[in-house]
Amino acid sequence: MRAMKTNILVRQLLRGATIAAVSLLANAAQAAAPGIAGASFALDAAAAYITQPDGSSIYSWGYGCTTPPAGTFQPAAVPGANCQQMQLPGPTLIVTQNVPVTVTLTNNLPARAGNTSILFPGFNVTATGTGPVGLLTREAVPAGGTVTYTFTPTQPGTHSYYSGTQSDLQIEMGLYGAIIVLPSTVPTVCTGRTNDTARAHDFGNGAESDFRLAQAAFNHNDSCYDREYLFQFSEIDPRIHRAAEEIVNCTGTRCPTNMDTVATEPYLPAYYMINGRSMPDDMDPNYSMQYPHQPYNGNPHMHPGELTLLRIIGQGRWQHPFHEHGNHVRVLARDGNLLLAPGAVSPTTPLAGPLMFTTTTTPGQTIDGIFQWTGKGLNWDVFGHGLKDGAPVTADVCVPDANGYYTSAPTAQNYYEWCGDHNKALESKPFGSVGSGGPVTLPDPNIVANGPWYSGSPYLGGEATTRAAGSTPIPPSGTVANSPTDEAGFAYMWHSHNEREITTNNIFPGGMLMMMLVDPRAYKIDESK
Amino acid sequence: MFSTRLFGSGIAAACLALCALPVAAQSFKVQCPTATPSHPSDPANPAANPLGGRIKCQQISGGDGFATMGDGTQTYLFGFGPLSGLQKMASGLPGTDVQSEFNVDNTSGVDPIFIGAPVDQSNLDVSAYSFNGAIGLVPDPQSEPTPGALTGHVDPRLIMDVGVMNANQPAPLMAIDEDDEFFLTLTNVGQVMRPDLFEQHTVHFHGYPNASAFYDGVPDASIAINIGGSFTYYYLAPDAGTYFWHCHISPPEHLQMGMVGQIYVRPRQNRVAGDLKNALIAANQGAAGYPANPVGGVTVAAPNGTGLSCSDILCTGQTPAPVSTATGAAGAMYAYNDGDGSTRYDVEYPIQIHGFDPNFHFVGMTFNPESFTDMKDKYFMLNGRSYPDTVAPGTMVTQSTDGTLHASQPLPSIINIPANGRALLRISDLDVTEYQTLASLGIPMRVVGLNARLLRDMAGNDMTYLTNSITLAGGESLDVILDATGYAAGQKFYLYTPNLDHLSNDAENFGGLMTEVNICTTVNPTTKACL
Repeated sequence: MRAMKTNILVRQLLRGATIAAVSLLANAAQAAAPGIAGASFALDAAAAYITQPDGSSIYSWGYGCTTPPAGTFQPAAVPGANCQQMQLPGPTLIVTQNVPVTVTLTNNLPARAGNTSILFPGFNVTATGTGPVGLLTREAVPAGGTVTYTFTPTQPGTHSYYSGTQSDLQIEMGLYGAIIVLPSTVPTVCTGRTNDTARAHDFGNGAESDFRLAQAAFNHNDSCYDREYLFQFSEIDPRIHRAAEEIVNCTGTRCPTNMDTVATEPYLPAYYMINGRSMPDDMDPNYSMQYPHQPYNGNPHMHPGELTLLRIIGQGRWQHPFHEHGNHVRVLARDGNLLLAPGAVSPTTPLAGPLMFTTTTTPGQTIDGIFQWTGKGLNWDVFGHGLKDGAPVTADVCVPDANGYYTSAPTAQNYYEWCGDHNKALESKPFGSVGSGGPVTLPDPNIVANGPWYSGSPYLGGEATTRAAGSTPIPPSGTVANSPTDEAGFAYMWHSHNEREITTNNIFPGGMLMMMLVDPRAYKIDESK
Repeated sequence: MFSTRLFGSGIAAACLALCALPVAAQSFKVQCPTATPSHPSDPANPAANPLGGRIKCQQISGGDGFATMGDGTQTYLFGFGPLSGLQKMASGLPGTDVQSEFNVDNTSGVDPIFIGAPVDQSNLDVSAYSFNGAIGLVPDPQSEPTPGALTGHVDPRLIMDVGVMNANQPAPLMAIDEDDEFFLTLTNVGQVMRPDLFEQHTVHFHGYPNASAFYDGVPDASIAINIGGSFTYYYLAPDAGTYFWHCHISPPEHLQMGMVGQIYVRPRQNRVAGDLKNALIAANQGAAGYPANPVGGVTVAAPNGTGLSCSDILCTGQTPAPVSTATGAAGAMYAYNDGDGSTRYDVEYPIQIHGFDPNFHFVGMTFNPESFTDMKDKYFMLNGRSYPDTVAPGTMVTQSTDGTLHASQPLPSIINIPANGRALLRISDLDVTEYQTLASLGIPMRVVGLNARLLRDMAGNDMTYLTNSITLAGGESLDVILDATGYAAGQKFYLYTPNLDHLSNDAENFGGLMTEVNICTTVNPTTKACL
């Protein structure tokens, strides 16, 4: 009989690797939307090798910084922020509405790569320089040629930028990035919210810092947010990269002088990436040393009730049905354009964007959307509150506001609990000190397999899990990515639903996959890692 | 039984390790309580129940099986099969039972349990099969206080007789109503054709709002049931809409191999007796809190605002009240709580788009390394069948490698619409590689729902739209109404894919993603028969 099929073995190995990689970090890294803030940017296009979880180094091109950026790295507290001469995706440019922007591009690609350029879809761009006027925009010639682009962003939101020269090859090679336009005016209702007070509370590990770039995505009352994440989706067909590499490295008298012979069809990608990395690399910290040319990660965390802004960009050439487990996403804007009900436009015009549980990424298109998890409607108390032998198992109360949530005590560990389910037990006769009298009996732990992000019980938080499963629950802590006594959050997979794309070169798991964690208030979400 | 005080004192950990577990080392087991805190009375006594709705239950097997492709090929698949509601499923209906239908002693009356149920192995007939209870449910010899009660204890032999290689394509159809509690038991019967695999399985209820990680069915984030065991998922029915479900173990493999199914939730509006808009406004106000928890919880908050829109940006449990002044008839069938009757329909058809890569399925049966980069579907299916099987009435039967005949594909995709009536197509897609388009030739589609949400903006304006085609990728769903106003009985139209290469069954150049739409004088909404 043949050996056990490859992907099982590797799957088990990778699972071990995943656990090892994550447990090396005291707290798993979180994400934010890091980049360079400013109005004037000196970018270049250059070549480097990027890495994949299967050990491959893939020859790629990407935008980077020629000199340390004149702007500042944001958010300020993310350590290790840097901008190499080449990164994939390119540096995220953080600009402000109505403030003119200048981007100077220097072509540091190998000579045989030819000219390069940048397109800024959605903006009215003026390009100046000595380089040729290409098909779509003015270009920079090889060996240090430059071109300067200027535009004034009039609308906030998420935008992309990418090469306008031989785009089928240059975008595939990695020449793309994001632009975040912050609103010039933030609505008052988006400042001084109870979620801000909750974030500032110290539960014993220090108060959380604020890693947002702004307090609202648009000058609109419904665009307030507490967390933000940027996700850029792209693919790699390694044969294309290899072909370009061979041309660049060719020596002798019969070498091609340009990239015209690189076939970009048929297209057979083997790598699928979020922010330039495949899973599990995407869940390592921003600016990780082991990926010097892939600085950005995809590792979202939030607390119950927090409004999370998703900035989603389709780079690359394929659509991807990006599915967010855990709840729907309210689409605010497409390509930075707010979707609003008919009538006069003001910060209070009702939203018209759809609710989607799968936010399809389309090449060249961006989505700004809001996600929020509260547990509303589960019909059982996720904190394991309730009565046992007639007495409440905790002292927690839940006082509903006008919308039914517990927001009057931002320092409570069950802040933002959905009070309609408070004290509703899940388990009929539980082992531990959680509410009893509920509708279900949990299975024997011996007949189930535990996942690496399983917190050890159905309940949210280390305190609740310890009450439910004892101080040494199954699985024992320390070998899992979501410690039962510490984080014990609810993990949700955010991934491309073209399931073939959550693989890395035929190995599952990999590709366009991230785990999103809804963490209890007692767990400090630290996006500085 | 151990005293609860013992556990409360923290000796729980030692007891877990050393003592016999009160929960009892289990293998197979079903759960379908006859009463719960939310439904202390079932069937419902409105005065006793804090919520409307019923207790509904379903048991499914996780394993493998065979299905028949459009070119006649018998292909191997991983899949879920029915272990309850078998008679309903053989009739093309959802297999979901109310608890009184589910909790039936298998040993009472005519023996309904045989290998290959519900297919009569001697004559391929399913019409004589009548049992809808949970397969395997037998009296519990150790029940307290009286032995012999139905506690969920099952006879594993009965489960294995029916469950082995009974995978359906698509997986068993589920349908519940808002306010129901749904107990879904997944029983892992193993994959007989793959003795090298010890696969767990899970159920991911795709799109369930505010899902808990524990019941979300993602094995990396929670728990997955081993071979020889049962896990019962608990859901309070989410907001009305068309959802779907699938296994989440190694999704690139398990979904391609066929572990995909449909679930939809009917709106509370179907049970409204008076004005639909006022009912919706009241529901929006009440959605800020539930009635008082009988165990001693929190009383409901004061009615929330005007009830004309949502109290949070995701509109959980709420729908913006319509700007339209149209009214709808009470007692009709609706897709959503629209408040104006705009999603009314006469007959509904769940349609799931999927694709099979025959190379991958062959490799999946023969222990070889699987290629995900080269995955390419060659069979394109609506409800597990390719044209012309999509329009063959009744269940399809496939023989598995042990010679047993199984009802492998119970759902045709024939769409019968009464003249001047409306059909609701609940369309979902779980393809793992590419987008697929379904077009309507001759009768326009109105898309009324997207991702299980009514298309309406936060001001109550109608955002539904007319189109000739819809395009979906795996992980997406939408609702389409085909309106036959002005059409005459006897007319025939087609739903087909303009991805013309998908109008094929592997090497056969005509087939694939296509089905027929018939305009009838009347249509029986349960049997879907054209009359």
